[in-house]
Amino acid sequence: MFAIASMNGIVIGVIYALSALGVSLVVGIMNVVNFAHGEFYILAGYFSYLFATALGMNLLAAMTLAVAIVFVFGLLVEYTLIRPTYGDDLYSLILTFILSIVLQNAYLLIFGPYPNKPPGWVRGATDIFGLFMYGNQRLAALVAGTCVIVFVFAMIKLTWFGRIIRATSQDRGMAELNGVNTTRLNMLSFGLGCALAAAAGVILAPVFPVTPTAGVPVALTAFVVVVLGGMGSLRGCIVGGLTLGLVENLGAAYLSTGYKHVFGFIILILVLAIRPSGLFGHKEA
Amino acid sequence: MRKISWLLVLTVALSLLAIGPAWSSDTIKVGVVGPRTGGAAATGKAFEEGIQLATDYVNAKGGVLNKKLEIVFEDTAGAPDKAASGFERLATRDKVVMVLGESHSSAALAEIEVANRLGIPFMVVEAWADPITAKNYRYVFRAGPSNSGVVNDTIAKWVAAEQFKKVAIVAENTDWGLGIAELTEKAMDKAGVPYLTVTTERKSQDHYMELTKLKAFDPDAVLAFVYGTGLHYFVAQAGEVGLTPKAIILDGAGPPSLWPDFWPNVGEYGDLECFVSSMHEKVELTELATQFRKSYVEAFGKAPTDYKSRSMFDAILIAADAINRAGSVDAEKLVEALEKTDLTVTRGKVTFGTEKGGPEYHHWMPPMLVIQWQNKEQVVLFPAEGATGKLKR
Repeated sequence: MFAIASMNGIVIGVIYALSALGVSLVVGIMNVVNFAHGEFYILAGYFSYLFATALGMNLLAAMTLAVAIVFVFGLLVEYTLIRPTYGDDLYSLILTFILSIVLQNAYLLIFGPYPNKPPGWVRGATDIFGLFMYGNQRLAALVAGTCVIVFVFAMIKLTWFGRIIRATSQDRGMAELNGVNTTRLNMLSFGLGCALAAAAGVILAPVFPVTPTAGVPVALTAFVVVVLGGMGSLRGCIVGGLTLGLVENLGAAYLSTGYKHVFGFIILILVLAIRPSGLFGHKEA
Repeated sequence: MRKISWLLVLTVALSLLAIGPAWSSDTIKVGVVGPRTGGAAATGKAFEEGIQLATDYVNAKGGVLNKKLEIVFEDTAGAPDKAASGFERLATRDKVVMVLGESHSSAALAEIEVANRLGIPFMVVEAWADPITAKNYRYVFRAGPSNSGVVNDTIAKWVAAEQFKKVAIVAENTDWGLGIAELTEKAMDKAGVPYLTVTTERKSQDHYMELTKLKAFDPDAVLAFVYGTGLHYFVAQAGEVGLTPKAIILDGAGPPSLWPDFWPNVGEYGDLECFVSSMHEKVELTELATQFRKSYVEAFGKAPTDYKSRSMFDAILIAADAINRAGSVDAEKLVEALEKTDLTVTRGKVTFGTEKGGPEYHHWMPPMLVIQWQNKEQVVLFPAEGATGKLKR
């Protein structure tokens, strides 16, 4: 039981971290909480389903195109809805909340209430060291999720764009004085955050089919991970996601499967009680 | 001149207001409550289909009290708070004479309190928790399955007929799931069949831990009381961890195993899965059921799958029959008429229990079948008199 609980905890933890990375990035740079994050995730799941099944596209091409479309959609949302609200965080919060409701209802109208699942990349299950069977699609999602996370970290640490992101999240005013166009950076960051939600969506839709309202728990978990790890900390996202995944699965294995998500909230409360800024967050000056 | 213009506008507006009730008086309004959004929005879709066919059917036969029947559908999203306020809106804003529907027990349990308080007849269609009718409220009826009816008349007898040695019970943590699991435990105790019960969260997507516990127990059958998309996750993941095909899964609710996306979502792991249903793709109990199928195909261009469309169709027919027999829309007369119902619908002949003291009060239990998917074909396993094949393992 411990072996499969730990394995599943890590897989689900990576999935949580991947879903939360986009939220953390947008919070870190723009100080905007995107309540529609889960709906971008679902949109990419629907697009990959449509492209792969209705249009018969190659799976990788369908996934890439889905992420690209959501990225562009994210840029448009930033330009039309978020940009006019800069200076008042509450407005952007309310706007993204409204956007999430509008998108949920649009999905219901367009795609119907039934769950949609893009074709799996692999079939069947693997015997893990003779201990337990584990779904191959989940293992594939673990590998793909890890690759995306490594890519994001490499981009932030090693590229010029990453340096701009880090500089702006540390001191926006100083970054502007050094010639950074923060308005354009905001747009790109929001698009990137949406693209990360989309990447999570296309990777996970073959495991957990998408429905119009399936984005709500995704966004909720992402917010828990971000708060647990520390607002705006990408490293905190990974640790927060893995902590949440492991706690939920070990709790379900040894205490009760009926309260799996409660264990995560208990850990969140405990961490916030001891360290209000989260595991890797910084105290505000 | 300007004053005259305003007076004209005012007159037109008042005339329109005056005409409004006259228009509405050409119809008799019946309310429907159910989830059109949320995780079980598919049920709302099935209800809508049943409403369309039933209103066409009733109105083609002269309507109710020589007026057209009009249905007002209120979304509850399966949430008790929304359900209670939606019911109240139907009664106070829309002035409906009766309310039908619901498929979430938690929502129905909130709605029956409003129905009882406002004195509006309420016929529950697909919410199974026993307390809905066990509370013995005068205005509350149920024309559909109840937990005790499904467990005692169908599931327990099927388990005995198939001679399962050990069963696992999986229940989502809702009024329906926990209630039906408790009744199943009692039935298994009575039958002397060892069991293990595991609860799962209603909105959970990942069931690996639950399935690992079940696999360690090594049951012959898994009685799964998980509704909606969760059932698809459960069946697919049961195949991945190797619980099936050694153990047979019985979907204790039914419709999710018939949803159009069942096979794409569960893949080959769906084969040999069993489910409880009041409808089979080929077995029809009454002439009206055949007529329903024909009308459904004509209207929607596909065969009916989710049996809740037919449950709603039946409920509207029962309501229309009661209104016509009552000769009035008075709540007391409607209750009396409903109590005297003797009507054949698609699922058989409807009569409501009138003896107080248990969930049978104001309840009509339709016959239920146990069906197994065998190479994507539906095979009726239970009851024996309706069986079209045998359990395949």
